[in-house]
Amino acid sequence: MDRMTPVKPTLANPCLRLLAGVAALACAFASATVVIAQGTPATDADSIKAGADKAINLCSTCHGPRGVSTSPEFPVLAGQQHDYLVAQLEAFRAKTRAEQIAHDFMWGIAGGLDDRMIDAVARYYASQPPAPGRPGDPALIEQGKQLFDKGVPGRGIPSCATCHGAQAQGLATFPRLAGQHAKYVRKQLEYIQGLVRNAPVMHGVVKDLTSAEIEALAAYVQSL
Amino acid sequence: MKQAKAILAIGLVVLSLVAASAAHAVPAYARQTGQECIACHVSFPELTPYGRYFKLTGYTIGKPAITSAGINYMPFALMAQAGVTSTRHNHTTDPDTGETVEVTEKNNQFTFSGASLFLAGKVTDYLGGFVQWTYDNLATTGDGTPGGHSGIDNTDIRVVGRYSGPGAAEPDLIYGFTLHNNPTVQDVWNSTPAFGFPYTAAPLANTPAAATQIDGTLAQQVAGLGVYAFWKKTLYAEVSFYRTADDAFSFLRAGQDTGTEGGVAAVKGYNPYWRLAYSHDYGPNSIMVGTYGMLVDRYPSNLDQSTPTDRFRDIATDFQYQYITDPHTFTAQATYIYEKQSYKASFPVTLSTGSGFGAGPTPANPDDTLRTFKAKATYYRERKYGGTVAYFSTIGTSDAGLYGTDAEGNAGRPDSSGFIFELDYLPVQYVRLMLQYTLYNKFNGASTNYDGTGRNARDNNTLFLNVWVAF
Repeated sequence: MDRMTPVKPTLANPCLRLLAGVAALACAFASATVVIAQGTPATDADSIKAGADKAINLCSTCHGPRGVSTSPEFPVLAGQQHDYLVAQLEAFRAKTRAEQIAHDFMWGIAGGLDDRMIDAVARYYASQPPAPGRPGDPALIEQGKQLFDKGVPGRGIPSCATCHGAQAQGLATFPRLAGQHAKYVRKQLEYIQGLVRNAPVMHGVVKDLTSAEIEALAAYVQSL
Repeated sequence: MKQAKAILAIGLVVLSLVAASAAHAVPAYARQTGQECIACHVSFPELTPYGRYFKLTGYTIGKPAITSAGINYMPFALMAQAGVTSTRHNHTTDPDTGETVEVTEKNNQFTFSGASLFLAGKVTDYLGGFVQWTYDNLATTGDGTPGGHSGIDNTDIRVVGRYSGPGAAEPDLIYGFTLHNNPTVQDVWNSTPAFGFPYTAAPLANTPAAATQIDGTLAQQVAGLGVYAFWKKTLYAEVSFYRTADDAFSFLRAGQDTGTEGGVAAVKGYNPYWRLAYSHDYGPNSIMVGTYGMLVDRYPSNLDQSTPTDRFRDIATDFQYQYITDPHTFTAQATYIYEKQSYKASFPVTLSTGSGFGAGPTPANPDDTLRTFKAKATYYRERKYGGTVAYFSTIGTSDAGLYGTDAEGNAGRPDSSGFIFELDYLPVQYVRLMLQYTLYNKFNGASTNYDGTGRNARDNNTLFLNVWVAF
C-alpha cells in the first residue's frame, strides 16, 4: 500500500480474474514438494561441498567472500575455529545467544541448519585463509597488546592470550580474534559484560574492563 | 480539538494492534526466513544490501510455506494504514459557480486509509514472489463519488538461478525472470520510482498533476516481463517489456478501472524498459550509480486501440548511498528522469478536430518534455527514530492544451516542486508512526494563483500523520 493507487470500479469482472491469479499462485505454493535441504553428506568431501555451497550462496551475503566481511556489523569468519563456529550456530539455533543482531539475523539462518550442515559450514570457514589485520592507532594498539598479553594482574584480569592464543588465533571453542572487526569485538565484550550474551567464563574475565581498555583490545586484535 | 481526538484515536488503534499481534507479529517473509524486518529493510520498504539479495534471488531464502512435510507457515501478511491529512488551506473558489468549496474531503479527520493482503513467499528454491491486494478505503469513482474499493497492488513473481564458477567465494551470477505490474517495482534500489520516497503519501491531499510515464503513471496497469542478471554483486542489467495487462495477464490489473475513459492505460505491443546499475559495498557503506528508462507507445484513449499511439521516451539516472550500522543508519537516494513526449496521435487529431481521442491528451505542441528530479536523505537511530528530508521537482514545456493557460493568458506549465520533511518512530519493527509535512514552492505551473482562482502553491502544503502496521 506504499503506492496505494486510487482506483475506480471496473465494468469488467475483476474478482474472477483476481481469484484466478491468486488460485494459480496458491496452487503453486500447495503443490510445491521441495523439502528443506537436510544436508546429509555421506563423506567428508561431500560435507565440505555442502558447507561451501551454503556459505557461498547465503552466508557470503553478509559475511563476505570466504568469510571476510566488509561491514563491521557482521563478524569475519575466515579462519575461525571450527568448534567455536559450531557452538555459536547451535546457540543461534537454540535461541540461547540473543543479542539483538543475532536475534534479528541469525536465529532464522541457523534455524534452517541441521547438525551436519552446521558442521559443514564451520569446516568451510575454518579452512579459509584468515583475514589480514587492519592498521589502527599505534598507541591504542600497543595498549591493547599489553592488555592482551599480560592482562591486569592487580585487578585480577588475566591475559587474553592464555585462552585465545599468543597471536589471538583461538583454540577449539575459544574464538579466533585476530583480524576481527574492532567494532564487533567491542560490542561482543559489552554484551558479555552486560550479560546480554551468555558466556559465564568470559563474563568473569571481562566484567571489570573499562570502555577504554575494550577499545584498545579491539583495536589490537583487529590489527593482527 | 478535532486533531486531539484524532491523535488519541490513533494511539488507541496502535496500542490495540500491538497488543493483539505481539506474539507473531511479523509479515510473511519474516516467517519464511526467521529473520526480522531490519535484516532486509532500513525501514519499510527501503532495502538493505541483504534485502536486495533476497529480492534478486526471488524471495527464496528460507523455507517454503508448504512442503510435503506440511505447512511451515501461512504465506500471508497484512498491512494497514490510518491517519490524518491536514491541508494548509482547504478551501477554494469553484470557477463555475463562484462558491467556496473544499479542496479535499475529510480534511483534519482521522481516517482509515486502507489495508493490504499479501500472498508472499518462497514456493521452491527457484520460485517466489508476492501479490499485494489493497482495499483503498478512500477511493472515489470516476465521477468523484467516494467509496471503498479494492484492487491489485504491487506484484512481483520471480524464477531465479545462480551460477558460481570453480573456486568462487560468492555467486558469480544471479539471474532471473520477473513477472510484475508496475515499471520499477522489480528494482532493488529505492532511488527508482515504484519504491521511492515518499513511501507513504497523504491519501487525501491535493497532488501535482504531471508525472512521467515511468513515475507511477502505469502502476498496476501493465504487465511487465523481464530478465535480469547481477554479476559479482557489482553490475546489474535488466531488460523488461511492458504490455497491456489484458487476456492472460489481466490478473495483474484486477480490480482496476478497465471499462471507462481515462481508466488503466492501454499500450501498444511490448514496450521496452532497460536498467543498468553499478553497485559496490565497502565497510558499512553501499553505493549504487545507475540508469534506467523506457519507451512507451500509448493509446490516447484506453478504450480505443484502433488509433495511432503517442510515444513517451523516459531516460533516467539514479544514485543511492547507504551507511548501515548499529545504531546509526544514513541513506540517500536521488533520481533524474527526462521524458520526451511525442504526441504522434493526439497532436494531429487535436489540431484538426479540437479534441483528442476519447479522454486522451489534447496537446497544443507536437512534442513536449517533462523533467523530474527527486532526492532524499534519511537518518535512523536504532532503526527506531528516523527523519527524512526530500526535495522534488517536475518541470516541463509549456502547453496550453495540456496545462491550460495562466492568469495572463500564457500557456500553462506542468511545474511543481517542493520539500518533504518526515519524522518516523517505530516502537516495534512492524509499527511506524509518521509525521510528514509537504511544502510546495510551485504547484501545477506557478507559485501563486496557479489555477486562476487565486489559489497559491503553498495552500496545498500538507501535514500528514500516519500509522502503518504490518503483521
